[in-house]
Amino acid sequence: MTMPAHRERIIVIGGGIQGCATACFLAKRGQKVTLIEKDHIGRHASGVNAGGVRRLGRDPCEIPLSLAAMDIWNALDEEIGDNADAFHPCFYVKVALDEDGQALGLERVESLRRAGFRHEVWLEESEIRSRLPHLSGRTCGGILVEGDGWAVPWRIVQGFARAAVRHGATLIEGCRVLGLRRDRDGWQVNTSKGTFEGDQVVNCAGAWAAELARLAGEPVFPLSPYAPMLVVTDRRPPILPAVMGVLGHTLSLKQLDTGQFVIGGGVRARADLDKNRGEVAIPELAASMRLATTLFADIANTQIIRCWSGIEGYMPDNLPVIGRGRQPGLVHGFGFSAHGFQLGPAVGEALADLVMGRQPRIPLEAFDPGRFERVA
Amino acid sequence: MTAGSHYDLVIIGAGPAGMAAAIEASEGGLRALILDDQPAPGGQVYRHVLQNAVRREASSYLGGDYWSGQALADAFAASSAELWSQSRVWQITGDREVFFSRHGAAQSVSAGAILIATGAMERPMPLRGWTLPGVMSVGAAQTMLKTNGSGADGAVFAGSGPLFYLTIWQYLQAGLAVRAVVDTAPARMTLAQYWLALPALLQPGLLLKGLRWRAAIRRKTDYFAQATSVAINGEDRVTGLSFTDASGQRQTIPAEHLFIHQGVVPNTSLTMASDLAHRWCPRQLCWHPRTDMFGESSVAGLFVAGDGMGIAGAAAAVSSGRLAAQRIIARARGRALPMAPVWRFLKWRQAAIRPFLDSLFRPPDEWRVPQDDTAIVCRCEALTKADVATAIALGVSGPNQLKGYCRAGMGRCQGRMCALTIQKMIHDHGGLPEDRVGHLRIRPPIRPLTVGELAALANDDAGA
Repeated sequence: MTMPAHRERIIVIGGGIQGCATACFLAKRGQKVTLIEKDHIGRHASGVNAGGVRRLGRDPCEIPLSLAAMDIWNALDEEIGDNADAFHPCFYVKVALDEDGQALGLERVESLRRAGFRHEVWLEESEIRSRLPHLSGRTCGGILVEGDGWAVPWRIVQGFARAAVRHGATLIEGCRVLGLRRDRDGWQVNTSKGTFEGDQVVNCAGAWAAELARLAGEPVFPLSPYAPMLVVTDRRPPILPAVMGVLGHTLSLKQLDTGQFVIGGGVRARADLDKNRGEVAIPELAASMRLATTLFADIANTQIIRCWSGIEGYMPDNLPVIGRGRQPGLVHGFGFSAHGFQLGPAVGEALADLVMGRQPRIPLEAFDPGRFERVA
Repeated sequence: MTAGSHYDLVIIGAGPAGMAAAIEASEGGLRALILDDQPAPGGQVYRHVLQNAVRREASSYLGGDYWSGQALADAFAASSAELWSQSRVWQITGDREVFFSRHGAAQSVSAGAILIATGAMERPMPLRGWTLPGVMSVGAAQTMLKTNGSGADGAVFAGSGPLFYLTIWQYLQAGLAVRAVVDTAPARMTLAQYWLALPALLQPGLLLKGLRWRAAIRRKTDYFAQATSVAINGEDRVTGLSFTDASGQRQTIPAEHLFIHQGVVPNTSLTMASDLAHRWCPRQLCWHPRTDMFGESSVAGLFVAGDGMGIAGAAAAVSSGRLAAQRIIARARGRALPMAPVWRFLKWRQAAIRPFLDSLFRPPDEWRVPQDDTAIVCRCEALTKADVATAIALGVSGPNQLKGYCRAGMGRCQGRMCALTIQKMIHDHGGLPEDRVGHLRIRPPIRPLTVGELAALANDDAGA
């Protein structure tokens, strides 16, 4: 490669929400940052996910991060300006359809209360019905979080990328990492668009992060790529002012401001990292469709107009990897296992702290990159 | 639920290619099933042919080519192949399971081999006003004529192409008044076209037929040749058509019903959604699935036949359907298919006229991308040329990234009505060759599928 080497202090790899938010916070704090992305900003899971912005149902060790992220979401225009209008706060309800679901929900609300978290509250059937009058199925109550909502994911990621650039970061798209090497002076990142040198590297490469870690000489990460699937329907009059789920099931259901329903949750197809392609397997979404029609009978007659998927990296414990790598000057933030979108802004802040040698304000022990090494 | 039903061959589309393949396959001892979304076999070209046959006298205006479909449909009906009409195929998986909706529920069958014979569709024609009430495609006008013998008296036709002249001729034969014909094809042939006309002489019947149609149209209608800068007039509905005639004069003619056409392209919804490899055909200005000479695609066991693999007409579609079926039979019996060179020649022979027609009726650029900034490009999302151009100017790597900027191609038509236009606009903006700009990524379901129909699949699986 005859291109001149670029001298940068921090190189963030991966233009998803984690990478863009990290670059944004670093640049805002005056750091010299280059963000490189092999495709384009928000091309994979970050740009095409269900857009759920929820604290509801989080693994307990993720809750502090999720609450911190929500503070940023609620003042998002300070970070990303006009693109903040892509976030639609409303409320999130996860209903119980039977006594098992009810027991599950009541127990969760109670255990969170004991741990000091009061954002998830239990609603009786009558309260659910008054907030969702178009609901056709009968529920046995449900969990509610006020202020959770949904966002147009692509615009949020774009917003963070643009904010990063506004604060002075350099953004390079279509730039694939071919090799990573560390010497006395720092990192050499060899890419399809030349070699970049930096003191620190942040690995936010999503489903491709384990391969990147391997190139950097890190221990093997048990990261598996899949393509979570979603469908969007035709437009319908508004009947659903919330994002909905069902306790004990993985459904996620929302109605956009266009009137279109987005239905998905948990169902994933195969993903091919080399070809950059996620498959779709609509038949596997049938159970989610049945649940959606159980909640709102009218949805049955609505036409599905598109099914899509985005490539995401999953960890065996469904918890992300956030923390310093084995190599000096390397920080990881990946493996969000299809629930990292809402966390993004707080993860970006935490990764920026780690890069700058500060103590993040949220404890990150549960996300320790070395946690599977110890088991192995 | 028919899950578990297995066929040696599942054919999608009961047009000439699909019917011919089904006849051949059943004669060869294969268990074959055709899934077709229409109520009766025939495809677009032989639409309603068995129903019209009982009143053949009354609908003789449809012409001899149309009636040649009757023998094919009869032979198909007499074959052992099964036909499931009104079945909308919305996904084919790599392991050859075919998912479709029928009678309000989603179902599936598995197949030893699959033949996609979904034919052609009309090229989108994004002139300003193409979405106005009163404007229809020429293909739609012909569909009405075939389905129930109805047509619009006093209509204006604008555009060019074989189907354009055929339909006007059928209109005239049916005794419908045609107010005017605005022909956008050049009146004189270029030197290159004279060369291309040489192989076309191998198909003198087709050439003569075309000349006869054009002569009748010139004689019986108010005919304008070499029309350029065609513009549709009207605000709430179409009121007329303006264009520049051969002498450079601007003309305006009133029109209550306007039928437009600029040729047909392969309907690649299913082949693209099934992840088959495609190639850009600069001659026909459209995408073709990559196949070998038997029609086998880049995915083993998945075949394509008929106009869906490249526009070549009904007779060639019959041959390609039979050829694909023969290959599938031969493979099922574990032997090679002999006489490949003969088939290759026959295939070329049946499409000998195509390069000439493709050149003569190449759609003008002004019909591929509208000249008017206010013209709708993406109908589903109601985006104008200016909307799309603004998004392209932000710097997009291709149509998939463009979706994020302006939602072009994200509506229920899955890009059928805008993908070729968007691709050309991105090409015009950045100079990237069209084959590298690429087509919008097509995702299943490619045919209408309701949430309830898909939910039915879960019910049945649970009971299975």
